[in-house]
Amino acid sequence: MFSATKLLFLASTVAPLALLGQTPQPDPETAAAETASLPDSDLNINSRYTIESITFTGRRDYKLSTSALEEIRRLIGAKASSDALDSLTSRIRDELRAHAVTFKLMRGEQPDAVRVLIQVDRAGGSVDASIPNLSYNSQLGITGTGQLATTIGPNVFTFQMVRDTDNFIERLVGLRAKYERAVLASGRIRIGFEFDGFQDQYAPTTLAALASSSRPSSLGAGAYGSRLNYEPSATFVIAEPLTYTVGLSFEQLNSLPSSVRSQMANAVVNSLRYHQRWSGVGDGAQEVDAGYSLRTATALLATSLAYTRHLAHLKYNYSSRTQSVEVTLMAGAIYGQAPLFERFALGDSTLLRGWNKYQLDPLGGNRLAYGSVTYGYRMMRVFFDTGSVWDEGQPMEVKESAGVGISSGLGVLQKGAFLLAMAFPLRQGHVTPVLIAGMNF
Amino acid sequence: MTPLAHGRGSVVTRAVLALSLGLAVWAVTVPTGLLPRRSGGDLRVAAPSIHFLTGKSLARLHDGAAVPFDFQLIIASGSKTNVVARALERFTVSYDVWEEKFSVVRVRDFRRSQMRLSAASAESWCLDNIVIPAASLPAGQPLYARLEIRSAESKTPLASDSGINLTTLIEIFSRPTRPEQDHWSVESAPFQLAGIAAK
Repeated sequence: MFSATKLLFLASTVAPLALLGQTPQPDPETAAAETASLPDSDLNINSRYTIESITFTGRRDYKLSTSALEEIRRLIGAKASSDALDSLTSRIRDELRAHAVTFKLMRGEQPDAVRVLIQVDRAGGSVDASIPNLSYNSQLGITGTGQLATTIGPNVFTFQMVRDTDNFIERLVGLRAKYERAVLASGRIRIGFEFDGFQDQYAPTTLAALASSSRPSSLGAGAYGSRLNYEPSATFVIAEPLTYTVGLSFEQLNSLPSSVRSQMANAVVNSLRYHQRWSGVGDGAQEVDAGYSLRTATALLATSLAYTRHLAHLKYNYSSRTQSVEVTLMAGAIYGQAPLFERFALGDSTLLRGWNKYQLDPLGGNRLAYGSVTYGYRMMRVFFDTGSVWDEGQPMEVKESAGVGISSGLGVLQKGAFLLAMAFPLRQGHVTPVLIAGMNF
Repeated sequence: MTPLAHGRGSVVTRAVLALSLGLAVWAVTVPTGLLPRRSGGDLRVAAPSIHFLTGKSLARLHDGAAVPFDFQLIIASGSKTNVVARALERFTVSYDVWEEKFSVVRVRDFRRSQMRLSAASAESWCLDNIVIPAASLPAGQPLYARLEIRSAESKTPLASDSGINLTTLIEIFSRPTRPEQDHWSVESAPFQLAGIAAK
């Protein structure tokens, strides 16, 4: 393919170098062929093309440091320098502790542009130990996950020790084991299996609410001392980056008085997710993470509790070199009698920060509406959260909170955002600040 | 054995003999080793039997990576161990993902390069750019040529602003090849300067 642009490029590079005597005269046998100088910065002919996108093969998402993501963002739109790509793959290999990380260039959508596909080879059975998330909330305590992961061929095994005081009405401690494998080489279909085993504890206010006569009729089960979940699933890449996951969740709830028979919450699980990052003009980058999940516990699966749970979320983030804005919206509804772990809650380390979920609604609710805006300037963060959790038929009471903090990838904490914030509930009559600290959440 | 069967056997035998003879003639007459030639005042070589843009190296090239190859051409006189001249070169090959053509850069002399080549042309261009001055070779004595090619680690430092680092190349060729490294070698039949064709 000879374009006029490329011929001009050749003409403009050969002539000055020939005048300087830097290009030797061609040999008689190769005189008919075209001789030119490649860009001095790179011996790879593809370095003249512009990088259109950088993605990972197999549609895998990897947890990379903010600085590595920043490096990827900088490379998009730049020339395909071998040195820069080698530096990036080397960095990714170190961060993921992978056996090898290589890149592949492919034709882009635009002329003279290339797509970069990064392949991570984690073969070799090495075990990767990490802490995917860790946070502290001065009212709720510590939430954290310790993880061991290993890849054997196309099979990914993950074992997690979990302590969660944040995401559910119950406080749980336990383990999660996951297996995942790409069925097709392209990664368009992945199958997986997850097992969860948790011991559950409850806040005194939750136990008191469970015992009271005002307990909502939509609550499908009382307190349970432990729960076990078996969840096979399959994920389909419909059209990059839109994915659809379907699976079955067989959840066994072992009641707190052990004499009471355990209950089953068996559900069909569906989720649709769209996650995309763009690098725009200049330094700006945008990210959209949107999803909808539907869990349907039906008699067809021999469930003790029949219900349907809908949850939709949208997170949009714009960031430039110095400023960032993040908007989060969530809405959810539960129909039927759902157990405690399915019910919505606000007032933790990530949602309606500053409020205490056990004071707002110790049993959660079956309706959710939530919004949040965070503005960042360099390391500083200011946020405003608003939302409500309520039960169908009850009045919706909107709560608000605001906070200030710092967030960054800092030194040894490069691998993910670190947040230290002070959050305040608004319109409560008195101010009781909540300290939130954590990373990767 | 019937006469018909005997006749069939004779036909098959003759066909096998003819094929064997043809293969033997082809093997003798078709050049497959290292072929020296004169070009101006230089000695160059051709190696029609060697194709180094293959296998793992070719796969890396098709992935858009630049792959360096180290070349060593040795001329010996009298016996194969009496080395009288040596040429060392590194060429970096890349494959244009849009034009689907190869480009080659000689990592010396301010990066002489050639673009839009087929695989065979790229291989030939590399060999054409390995030269030994004929004046440095003894006339009237039998000469032996040996060519060695190795795929190289792209991170091996070799070139600097002042040009190629020959010491590094000599060290590279003094070491055995690593398992992950592609390598090729070929030798010529004995020849004399006066006896080889000038092209």
